[in-house]
Order: sequence, then structure tokens, then C-alpha cells
Amino acid sequence: MSGQVKGNGARFKNNVKISERHGAGEWLAERVLLVVVLPLGLWVASTAFTLTGAGYDAVQDWFANRLNAGLLALTAVVFFGYVSVAWKVILEDYVPQPGTRKALVALLNLVFLVLAAASVFFIVRMALGSAPLPAGFGA
Amino acid sequence: MTQPSPTSGGASSDRTGRFVTQPNGHVTPLSPHIGIWRWHVTMAASILFRATIIAATVGALIVVAWLGALAFGPDAYAAALALAGSPLGLFVGFGLTVVLFSFILNGTRHTINDTGNGLTIKSSTILSRIAVWAPVPLAILFWVVLFAVGRVSL
Repeated sequence: MSGQVKGNGARFKNNVKISERHGAGEWLAERVLLVVVLPLGLWVASTAFTLTGAGYDAVQDWFANRLNAGLLALTAVVFFGYVSVAWKVILEDYVPQPGTRKALVALLNLVFLVLAAASVFFIVRMALGSAPLPAGFGA
Repeated sequence: MTQPSPTSGGASSDRTGRFVTQPNGHVTPLSPHIGIWRWHVTMAASILFRATIIAATVGALIVVAWLGALAFGPDAYAAALALAGSPLGLFVGFGLTVVLFSFILNGTRHTINDTGNGLTIKSSTILSRIAVWAPVPLAILFWVVLFAVGRVSL
């Protein structure tokens, strides 16, 4: 991995200039996350078909299945990870001011982190059959 | 380092608009893409994938709200279900399925192209056409079956 350094700080590997920054890693992360999201997306489509119009008890039974709850939590985490990278790419294209761009990327990452955490929290409560919220939070 | 002279080759007498005067005063040939560019469905697929990602983010907000309603118990879920079953709710639900199928198909197209496959003009056009158009009939089929089996009704 150690590339030899030439005059202006550019790094080379086998005399081929290698990325000065981290773009290649982000590109790969986006591709890998998308490849994981796609089959889960098919599963989400079949799940949406199963659960559309279902009553509370039926949905609770669905969540009681550990495989369903686990796959849904995985989907939430991977999906929000993917859109985090995807929104960064979109913002890099359309927001020219570096300060504004960094602030927006950081804000969206925070939002997606909170959404992923909230999803997993709700899913775990449903899977464990916890009492309806706000039970356990002062009520 | 000598620059090739931008004014050689008849630029000064050009009346076709193929030469432009740059802000620094240099007369240079107009970049050729404007003259030879034409619309192609691959462009629509590319732009629609971005739009799909933005719409899918909004859809994820709705799904998280649905999860929240479930976690807050049967009463909150009944309210959410009534909202989803209203005409506006069904319309949004239809849109979400279009977005979901668009995400799956366009994401598949993107992944195929990213691995260096399907990049001939013919195959990239076919992949793009599928990604652009197929989500709509798939979503219609999805909801027709849902209505047919009585899972949802107006």
C-alpha cells in the first residue's frame, strides 16, 4: 500500500498516480451499500404487500418473528447509511460553497443517524412485545 | 509554453457561432457537446435515480412514523391506519410503491453499469428504459392485486 512520494506530494503506485483523497473509498462504500439494499428492497416490497391494511395484532405477530424484526432493523441501518452517502454526492454537485456544503452534509448525517436509531428502537420494542410507549419513560 | 493560437483557422470570419469569446478575450472554438448533444433515455434514468433517492428518503420518514405509531400502541396505530386508508393516504402509498420499484430497478441498472456491464448503447438504453418506465406498471399491478384480494378498499 505504501506508494512512493514524488515532488509535489502526489503519491504513485507502480508509476500510476493514486487518489490524493478518499473519493475511491466513498464510491466503493456507496456501491457495496446499494448492493446490500437492493435484495432488502425486494423483501420490503413483499413485506409491504403482506402488511398493507393489517390490524395491530397481525403486525405485532409479524414483528414477533425474529427474522422479520432483524431484517427490518438491518434494512433501516443499511438504507440510512446508503442515503447518507448518496445525499453527500448530491450536495457536492449542487452546493458550491464549501462551508454550507459541509454543514448540510453534517446535518443530514445527524438526521439519518437519529432516524436509524429511532427505527431500531421502535423495531426492538415491537419485537420484544414491550408495552406501548411512553411506558418506561415516566408514564 | 506556447499556446495554439485560438484565432487561427478562420475564427475571426466565423459566422456559424462555433467560436466564442472567452472572458479573458481569447477566441476559442465552442465546446462541441452543445452542437452534437441530444436527449437520451440514459440521462432520464440517471436523473430519476437521484430524484428516487430523494423521494425514498421522504418515504423512509413515513415508514419511521409508521414504526413509531406501532410502538406507541394500538390507538396510535389505528389513527395511522385510518390516515393511510384515506384517499390521500392511498395516493401517497401508491407513490411510495412507485418509488420503491424505481429504487430497486434503477439501483440494479446503476450496479450493473458500475461493474462495467451493460454499457453498449443498446444495452444501456434497454436498462434505462426498464428503470424509467417499469416502476409504474409494477406499482399499478401491486395495488390492483391488493384491491382484488380485499386487503385495501376505498
